[in-house]
Amino acid sequence: MAKFMFVYRGGDEGAAEASPEQMQQAMMAWGNWIQSGMEAGWLLDGGDGLKAEGQVVQPDLTVIDGPFAESKELVGGYSMVEAADLAAAVELAKACPMPAAGGTVEVRELAGHTAE
Amino acid sequence: MPREVTPSEPPQLVEHFFRHESAKLIAVLTRAFGVRYLDLIEDKVQEAMLAAVQAWRQRGIPTNPAGWIYRVARNRVLDALRREKIHQRALALAHQTEAAIESLVEDWLSEDQLPDSLLRMIFVCCHPGLDRQSQIAMTLKILCGFSISEIARGLLISAEAAKKRVQRAKKTLAQQQIKIDLPPTVELQSRLSVVHDVLYLMFNEGYSTSKGHEPLRDDICEEAARLCHLLCEHKTFSTPETRALLALMLSHAARLDARVDSNGAVVLLAEQDRSLWDRKLIRFAEVWLERSKTDSPSRFHMEAAIALTHCHAASVAETHWPTIIKFYDHLLTIHDSPLYILNRAIARGESGDVDSALAEIESIRNHREMRNYFLLDCAVGRLQELGSNVEAAITAYSAALRASSAPHEQALLNKKLTQLKAS
Repeated sequence: MAKFMFVYRGGDEGAAEASPEQMQQAMMAWGNWIQSGMEAGWLLDGGDGLKAEGQVVQPDLTVIDGPFAESKELVGGYSMVEAADLAAAVELAKACPMPAAGGTVEVRELAGHTAE
Repeated sequence: MPREVTPSEPPQLVEHFFRHESAKLIAVLTRAFGVRYLDLIEDKVQEAMLAAVQAWRQRGIPTNPAGWIYRVARNRVLDALRREKIHQRALALAHQTEAAIESLVEDWLSEDQLPDSLLRMIFVCCHPGLDRQSQIAMTLKILCGFSISEIARGLLISAEAAKKRVQRAKKTLAQQQIKIDLPPTVELQSRLSVVHDVLYLMFNEGYSTSKGHEPLRDDICEEAARLCHLLCEHKTFSTPETRALLALMLSHAARLDARVDSNGAVVLLAEQDRSLWDRKLIRFAEVWLERSKTDSPSRFHMEAAIALTHCHAASVAETHWPTIIKFYDHLLTIHDSPLYILNRAIARGESGDVDSALAEIESIRNHREMRNYFLLDCAVGRLQELGSNVEAAITAYSAALRASSAPHEQALLNKKLTQLKAS
């Protein structure tokens, strides 16, 4: 088995106009996905979200506000998943609520580097 | 690697949690800061709920989700007021310090005090200074957590129109400096009666199948009944009329699921599978009608009694029509409406008195409210069928077809016409 990181981008477009009931449905979709992953064992960690604001340290050590990416391109969160191979991980990513919410899931296998 | 097993089920959200949480917070915060900040409070509550979705979607729902959203919303409202330098003024207007307001708001959010704020908000949204359309739109927006586009979808109006109704209402409330108060005793009856009318119309909007079925409209019915139930639990507002209105809503709501087939097409009363009617809701309706007893029954009493008589019948043929006719007779002494006359005529025809039923319908044909009303000719068609006058029935249903504008009505009428022509 290999470990993968799901990197989430976007998915909040139109959220400002979402009705409370639509938010409830979004919550339910995520809750069900996380729960099914935990029960089946392929979801190692539901992960976390990232706040939108931050700063970027430049090579010359100057610090700039950012990242100023479009919200569609901004990394908004991650989860950790276990799967047989990349193809299997991609199938799991297809079933997560992010694509339906208009966001993307980048599926990246951990390199597995160790100190030994 | 051994995985940690969660000892208990993770917290779940109750149905419509966000919708009702939104209404609670808006009611309580608006009561604290005043109706002039309604827009700001709505925005901040919306932001708090979005923050909740983002925070919870990966980490799960906290043990006290309502408290979580409240803290975020409260902080954001206070921050916004500070930023706009209206903080002191807002506090001064509310005659409170920030700490005092926070503790007040927390008290108001407690289970036993919450209904009071919601009821105040009902009276604000149903304020007599607003027109009826705006009252319904505001009630859906503020007390039921509907978005503008959901209001539009539910009321079958454009999003633009829905937005205008809400904006118009807010403008009037601000201009007239409406307070978040319960009506004074002298106005109680008239103000409560406006609330009844708004909830009654709201329920009917949701219940009407004139434009086909849309699940959101069932939610409107459910919400109207929820708000009516809230009135029924209050010592002052739980009048015989309020209770009868709840009984009426429940007896109709019991039939919601049977009114639509698996394809979403509307099923008429005569063809409904009565085993799908919700016996529990019918029982609740009976209990509330029992509790609504009074010497001077309202139209809600009579309408509830009629609806329950239908609920108790095993089929159209077995319906106790003489009772229904009697109820309509009484109803017409309270509220004279050609629609009631039409329905009484149908009941008369079903009980075997086709000729007088047809004569009565002709007597209201030219009434203003009945013009181009396709159900009038539908009723004539049904009565002619009962009298075995196939030709006359075909003529009437054809007239109904010309007056009808909704595709699903036309489909039902075309089906009927085909059946009759083949017979």
